Amino acid sequence: MKKRKSALLLAAVLTASLLTACSPGAQEGQEETAKSEGEAQEKTFIFGDTTFNAENGEADINPHKDSGGWPCIRYGVGETLFRFSDTMEIEPWLATDYQNPDELTWVITLRDGVTFSNGRPMDAEAVKECLDALTADHERAAGDLHIAQITADGQTLTIRTEEPVPALINYLADPYGCIIDMDAGISEEGIVVGTGPYQAVSLETDTRLELVKNENYWDGEPKIDRITVRTISDGDTLTMALQSGEIDAAYGMPYASYPLFDNDQYTFSSTATSRVFFGAMNYESEITSDPAVREAIVLGIDKESFVKTLLGGNGYPATGVYPDSFTFGGEAVREDSYDPQKAAKILEEAGWKDTDGDGVREKDGKTLTLRWLTYPSRQELPLLAEAAQATLGDIGFDVEINSTADHNSIRVDTSAWDIYVSAFVTAPTGDPEYFFNYHCLDDSAQNDGHYHNDQLEELAEELSKTFDVQKRSELAVQMQQIILDDNAYVFCSHLRMTMISRANVTGLTAHPCDYYEITADLDIN
Amino acid sequence: MSSGKVTVRGQRRKKNHTKARLILFGALVLLLILAAIFAETLCPYDPNQQDLSAALQPPGAGHLFGTDRYGRDMLSRVIVGARVSIFSALILVAVIAAAGTLIGMICGYIQGAADSIIMRIADICLAFPGLVFALAIAAVLNGGVGNAVIALAVISWPKYARIARGQTLAVKSSEYIAAARLAGSTPLKILFCHILPNIIGPVLVTAMLDIGTMMMEIAALSFLGLGAKPPTAEWGSMMSEGRSMLQTYPWTVLTPGIAIFISVVLFNLLGDTIRDYADPGNGSRQG
Repeated sequence: MKKRKSALLLAAVLTASLLTACSPGAQEGQEETAKSEGEAQEKTFIFGDTTFNAENGEADINPHKDSGGWPCIRYGVGETLFRFSDTMEIEPWLATDYQNPDELTWVITLRDGVTFSNGRPMDAEAVKECLDALTADHERAAGDLHIAQITADGQTLTIRTEEPVPALINYLADPYGCIIDMDAGISEEGIVVGTGPYQAVSLETDTRLELVKNENYWDGEPKIDRITVRTISDGDTLTMALQSGEIDAAYGMPYASYPLFDNDQYTFSSTATSRVFFGAMNYESEITSDPAVREAIVLGIDKESFVKTLLGGNGYPATGVYPDSFTFGGEAVREDSYDPQKAAKILEEAGWKDTDGDGVREKDGKTLTLRWLTYPSRQELPLLAEAAQATLGDIGFDVEINSTADHNSIRVDTSAWDIYVSAFVTAPTGDPEYFFNYHCLDDSAQNDGHYHNDQLEELAEELSKTFDVQKRSELAVQMQQIILDDNAYVFCSHLRMTMISRANVTGLTAHPCDYYEITADLDIN
Repeated sequence: MSSGKVTVRGQRRKKNHTKARLILFGALVLLLILAAIFAETLCPYDPNQQDLSAALQPPGAGHLFGTDRYGRDMLSRVIVGARVSIFSALILVAVIAAAGTLIGMICGYIQGAADSIIMRIADICLAFPGLVFALAIAAVLNGGVGNAVIALAVISWPKYARIARGQTLAVKSSEYIAAARLAGSTPLKILFCHILPNIIGPVLVTAMLDIGTMMMEIAALSFLGLGAKPPTAEWGSMMSEGRSMLQTYPWTVLTPGIAIFISVVLFNLLGDTIRDYADPGNGSRQG
């Protein structure tokens, strides 16, 4: 009996040893050990990001497609001719200087000694090729830049525009203006060759981007050898990944997770940005085409409480399009604050009354149902929707929330929504023109609610020809006031952008433009 | 002789034990349903009323289950959530049991080509992974509790159809059916007056056991954003809303989670007990 027991025990131990030795886990463990020995000298960094995905127009890092310029510049692959300082002032980057001899001509001097990561020198010819491809391929760039002709001569680039483009230098600092080597082309994966501190080696949409140090970098030696940017769209997964050490830093952390990292082991880097959470009214809708309804919506959203409680103070209640860090932003414009009594009175006077006592107002047989279209990939948006549902509900609205990743196909159908609430960086170029061109004019790419105002169109025309910065600010203020007076949009809050990293990470600093993240300064100890 | 007495006494004891369990679990489930019916009366606060100044308060005297990120009372939302979660599961099970049984009875009675076609459709439905199929249907229907119930109904009826068909085939050849036929009963009368009463037992037991499962599946769809829409309180969607706060404000997830757990356990125990009560010979399931 004892012998039998011993034999069984021995067999069990042998089987277990055999299984352990053959298991993939064991092999992985051995490989990991070998790998870590080989990579002992190598510095690696893993960054988790909730927004690097096709849903946000970031299927790859090609700056000439959708919003591909954002990951291109954010992750240190691409750089632009000009960039923004910490106070959002324009400053040279790949260029050293520019001159504007007449309203249609811009002479830009390029920096000497800059090469793409493949070794090709960045000269005027290379920049010309890139800008030609940009205006040919990017849906917005041609309309922003109005380039008629580019001539290249050594390190001097001369751009001639079809019409005056006062904000040309600002537009060249937009992420789509990343200078990439068109000779190297754009790979099937959407990888490009830029001048930044890191070069992309592989990319899998919605999954990961692998980067290695650019040995030819012109502005100091990058400190990390290999970087992996992981798309982690779920905030909870991102939280656990940072907690477990699976990633070294994170962008897009849920506010509810902040307390978990508020200790010595982690570092927060935050800054105010011009990313605004705002709603666009649908002028084709029976509900929001009524000016009284629009005014009541604006008065019926409690922005202060939304920012203070639901965003945990990580934002700023918005008055207009731009935050108060801009001369044409913040208190430069006037808008009524949360006033549910006034909102209810306006609705009452406009004939919207709750005749059946169910808490929802009606008028001419229509109920005051507000179809609120938004999307979940920006964590603030569903929170805003539910907060507004309650406060607008108190004044007689029935708010139906449709928070869907499919919002882009729905928003173009004006019969499917009354208010479309989204997040948007209103001044990525530090100039006010961008927001109006993109959202508010007859020919805007995203004027989904078909808003129109004659005076706004005229001022936009004037803005497009005005070079004087002070005058541009004044026009921007007037234009904001028009759209606020029309209650065509409701601006709820501006984002305070935060990146959280492990304490041993240095040089990862949040920037007000929201698109400089991985730089040559990034290090891990 | 004495062994026979012991067996009879043991069976009686088991029967009494099962009866006691039936009364206990029946009463608890009844209590749960009554709580759901009178939810609004039982709620200490308006379950949808936001009070951002009272957001994320831990369980305490003012709010027994704490508050969520909008300052809504969790206890009130859990109580009101019972109505949506339990009643939608009950409606779903009633619909699939009724529809599946009807289809199964007709197939079993008439047989032939129609039977083959319908059973192949049932096989197709059974071949899909249930929740994934329901997810796809719910997504097409654009979410909402009603649509989640429809989505689950579309994939869940075949089980009942198979049970009813099998039982119908078994009783169809019985002498009393032949007698009814000879007496001039119409097929409809035979189906509903003679076959249905004889096959309803297994169907009811299956339905009872299914309530808990369906409650979890509805909660799962809601958790994934395809069930209840805000601000409707439903246990699955409440868990989904609170999941980012599991580590920091755990009550926002645990309270609806515990409610799901208790309800599912109660319905399953009641289902098990009804089965034992209806089939006392099935000793292996005796507790």
